[in-house]
Formats: sequence, structure tokens, C-alpha cells
Amino acid sequence: MSIASDMIRGHTDTIILAHLMSGDSYGYKINRSISEKTGGQYELKEATLYTAFRRLEQLGFISSYWGDENTGARRRYYSITPAGVQEYHRMLEEWEQSQRLIQTLITS
Amino acid sequence: MEYRIREYMDQLFESAPRTQRAYELKIELTQNLIEKYYALVGEGKDPEDAYNLTIMSIGDVRELFSQLEDDENGDPVPPPVYYPQPQPDHRRALVRTLAVMLFILSVVPPILFGELFGDSFLDGALGPIGMFIMIAAGVGLLVYDKWAHPQAPQPVPGSVVKDFQQWQRQKTVKRHYIAAFNGAFWPLVLALYFILSFGTGKWYITWVIFLIAPAIDVIVNTLLSSIMNQSGK
Repeated sequence: MSIASDMIRGHTDTIILAHLMSGDSYGYKINRSISEKTGGQYELKEATLYTAFRRLEQLGFISSYWGDENTGARRRYYSITPAGVQEYHRMLEEWEQSQRLIQTLITS
Repeated sequence: MEYRIREYMDQLFESAPRTQRAYELKIELTQNLIEKYYALVGEGKDPEDAYNLTIMSIGDVRELFSQLEDDENGDPVPPPVYYPQPQPDHRRALVRTLAVMLFILSVVPPILFGELFGDSFLDGALGPIGMFIMIAAGVGLLVYDKWAHPQAPQPVPGSVVKDFQQWQRQKTVKRHYIAAFNGAFWPLVLALYFILSFGTGKWYITWVIFLIAPAIDVIVNTLLSSIMNQSGK
């Protein structure tokens, strides 16, 4: 599982962008969805997730805003920017390429 | 338990840079952790286990904090505290010098007119009149100088730390004493000059007071500053 963990961590940015492609979201929701999609096998550390948020925000791929929940608990939402959508497609393509490459390299 | 999470976050963010961004991140992270905690409890986890799992899921925040430190797009880290250095003001210095010169030279008219005309011209009043005009001009210049440069508190960039406030308070007290001395000194000198002059009638020598006075002024000011600086430490 450690190889998978490392690989997933290496694609944190793409995972976040992919999640935001289907709508605005916030930290806990994104992490829960990762956990659910992997059947509870994988979950990002909060520190990793928020480091990625800041990095992506700085690069202009995502933007954030404070939600206006009535319950008192305010969440910070993230949404993908047009540049982020572009970046997502570029990363996806890159991933598919390297996936094919590794596939040919590691199968005998 | 929610309180424990908040408390933990407070401790964790002790080492984070003091920026608006860091504060917002703390709020955001805390909110998400609390939500995570309640979700875990909702799944049937023991509150203690849920708390531990939540705290464990934070991971290593060092990278996150170092990112906050060099986050150029965010609010920059408050600049280091700096003590405003008094700027030398040449125009101000000129005004003050001129005033002091007028005080010193104010004794020239009585001597000059006394030598030239004796008491024959206007009963010898011309000399004192000239002197008073020069003194008035000097006082006027000093008053102008005070008004033109009100001692408004200087704006301090960045956050105001206790250190600085204390420093400024000490400085204000110091300035207050020195200003009080400076305010009283010259009128006293002038009064002494007249008392001695009228009392002794030796106008030809009493003007020496105006040569001695600036020296005393400088000495007392220097002493006051050094005493204040020592007590301020």
C-alpha cells in the first residue's frame, strides 16, 4: 500500500482539481470523498490537503470564499478557476501518458 | 471534545506565523476537524478514539507553516518592529539657530546706539527698543517652530508590540521633561539679564549671560537625556 500512498500523494493537486471539477467543495468534504472512493483505504493528512490548497490558490488554479452557513460554523469553500480546468486536463493527459509508459515498463 | 480540538489547534498554531492567512487557516482547519470528529462519532466511534483519530489525521504541519511564512500572495508577515528614527530637519535647525542668535545679538543695539549717540538721542531709548524687537523676533521664531512641528504620534508600520509602546511611553515622558526645561530656560535667562542689568546698571558686561546661557542649556539637556536613558533601561 505504501507505493500507492506515495503515488496518491504525488497527485494530490490533480485529485483536488478533479474533485472541484464537479462543483465547489471544502476541505473535509474533499477528504471524505477520497476516503469513500478508496473504500477507506486512503485519506489525505489535513496538512497535506491544506498545503495543496494554498499552493493551488497561489498558482491561480483554485479560488476560495467563506460560506454563509446559518448554523454558525463557517466553511471555506474552494472552486476551480478556468486556468485550473486547463491545468486539470493537462495533468490528466500527463498521467495517462505516464501510466501507459509504466505499464509497458513493469509488465514482462 | 470540541473544546479540546480547539485547544489543540491553539497550541499547534503557536508556532505558525502571525498573519491573517494563518489565522484563517486555523479557523478553516478547526472547523473541518470538528466536522470530521462528529462524523466519526456518528459512525459509532468512542469519543476519545474519535478525538485521537481526528488529531492524528492532521499530519505534519511544518510544510504548511513554512508555506505560510513565504506566502507572498497572502498578507505578508508583519514587518519587524522598527523604531522611527528622528529625521534631522535642517529648516527647523535654522529657525532655532536664528532665534538663539537673535537672543545673543539683542545686546548689540544698546551697546551700538549707546556708543554712537550716548543718551542724547531719544533719551537713549533706541538701544533697548532694538533689543526688545530682536528678542521678540527670537521668541516669535521659537513659538512658530513649536506650532509648525506639533509632536503628533508617529504612525507605526506593522503590529504594535508592547516593547514599542513601552519605549514610546518612556520617550514621551523624557521629551516632556526636556521640553519643560527648554520652555522655562530662556525666559529665565532673559529675566536674570534684566534683573542684573537694571540692578547693577552694568549693561556693558551683563550681556555675557547670553554667552553662558547656551552653554548651560546644552549641558543640562545632555545631562537630562542621559539620566532619562539610564532610568528607561
